[in-house]
Amino acid sequence: MLPIDAAAHSSRWRRRHPVDKAVLGLGLTVLAISLPPWPGAALVLVAALAVLLGPAGVTARHLWRAYRVPLGFCVTGAATLLVQVGGPEGLVGPAAGGPVRAGELLLRTSAASLGVLLFAFTTPMSDLLPRLVKAGVPAAVVDVALVTYRMSFLLLDSVRRIREAQAARLGHTTRAAAWRSLAGLGATAFVRAFDRAARLQAGLAGRGYDGTLRVLVPEARLSTRFVAVSVALLAALTSLTFALEGPLS
Amino acid sequence: MHIAEGFLPPAHAIAWSVASAPFVVHGVRSLTREVRENPESTLLLGASGAFTFVLSALKLPSVTGSCSHPTGTGLGAILFRPPIMAVLGTITLLFQALLLAHGGLTTLGANVFSMAVVGPWAGYAVYRVLRRYDVPLMVAVFFGAFVADLSTYCVTSVQLALAFPDPGSGFLGALGKFGSIFAFTQIPLAVSEGLLTVLVMRLLVQSSKGDLTRLGVFLAGKQARTRTVETETVSR
Repeated sequence: MLPIDAAAHSSRWRRRHPVDKAVLGLGLTVLAISLPPWPGAALVLVAALAVLLGPAGVTARHLWRAYRVPLGFCVTGAATLLVQVGGPEGLVGPAAGGPVRAGELLLRTSAASLGVLLFAFTTPMSDLLPRLVKAGVPAAVVDVALVTYRMSFLLLDSVRRIREAQAARLGHTTRAAAWRSLAGLGATAFVRAFDRAARLQAGLAGRGYDGTLRVLVPEARLSTRFVAVSVALLAALTSLTFALEGPLS
Repeated sequence: MHIAEGFLPPAHAIAWSVASAPFVVHGVRSLTREVRENPESTLLLGASGAFTFVLSALKLPSVTGSCSHPTGTGLGAILFRPPIMAVLGTITLLFQALLLAHGGLTTLGANVFSMAVVGPWAGYAVYRVLRRYDVPLMVAVFFGAFVADLSTYCVTSVQLALAFPDPGSGFLGALGKFGSIFAFTQIPLAVSEGLLTVLVMRLLVQSSKGDLTRLGVFLAGKQARTRTVETETVSR
């Protein structure tokens, strides 16, 4: 299991309805990209961090390990705004207002990423996917996504073990050997995926499979109170942004 | 090549989602019809999705000495066809956004357009044209994967240039800026992905000929033309 999903399964908010958490987490993400970056995105960032480390109970270590990946992309992406092509400085020179634009972009992407992480760290995919049918996603697509989700972990585990076996047989010592090993890894993943699908099909056929995958979904009720508090937080952040925008600009 | 969460302004995020929607809907209809006619294909399609997810997690040695990962769109399109890849790619990108914090939900539409729509269609078109003229399978596979990878990066450059035009030279300057940054790393990576895809396909020809025959990978020349016509008729 991947670290974020493993953390979601043992989350304090695991039993909450996914819609509750979507209103809060994805609401923060929408605010992060919609409000003026300063002070809007900065306020969203602080609020998301406070909720993640506070009521949601995500540990700082887990959060950092997951957050450093998007943060790296945000920093490298924002760095490109520091330069401009053409102009009096030559072919490439420092962009006028580049640091401000880069800073604003960094704030926006960081805050938006934290909003999605809040949702991901508290909602296992196995709770979310079956409920997508109610949201209007065709059942066939949800079934394929469920099989993809469950089979991904098995395949990732197989790939890890194959890579270890290849390394133990000196399969990564030279560039040519590394390419051969990588190709073998990709081909074996394909063969294993289709083999597992065939065996799963045989197993399900023996249990009267009719084309519908029925899975147990943990019961959860939509909490009006949780949603109301989330909406109030989002509204407060919006109001505070517009109140502070003038004085802080 | 994933555009990170929150990177695009809201109007761009919505516009790319709208642009991707017809392709994904077309893919969903193809997939739903396939599952209705052959219920057992749910498991095969799920396995294909898992394979695409795992393929994008493989570390690819690049010419510059660093590591990257293959997009997998070329191989996926050759094996499973572009409409199905639009759905499998969308599922994979959703999983990457939520399970790996790679990409994002607000940028899902833009990432789907580059990686699950343009990449597979461009790669598959090149592969299919080459096969029509009886070009050897492995040469067609190489160019299919190469074009799929490169077209993905070109579209990503356009998306970023539209969102962040250069203050001095506008859209074209930004396109040159993002394109040249990508060109340094991505042209070697596209060659690497093409070579890797050929190696994978060679092993698959040896070990899974039955599966590849069923997927229609070996069709060439006149058969390929017939297959294309059949595919288009079924899609309609």
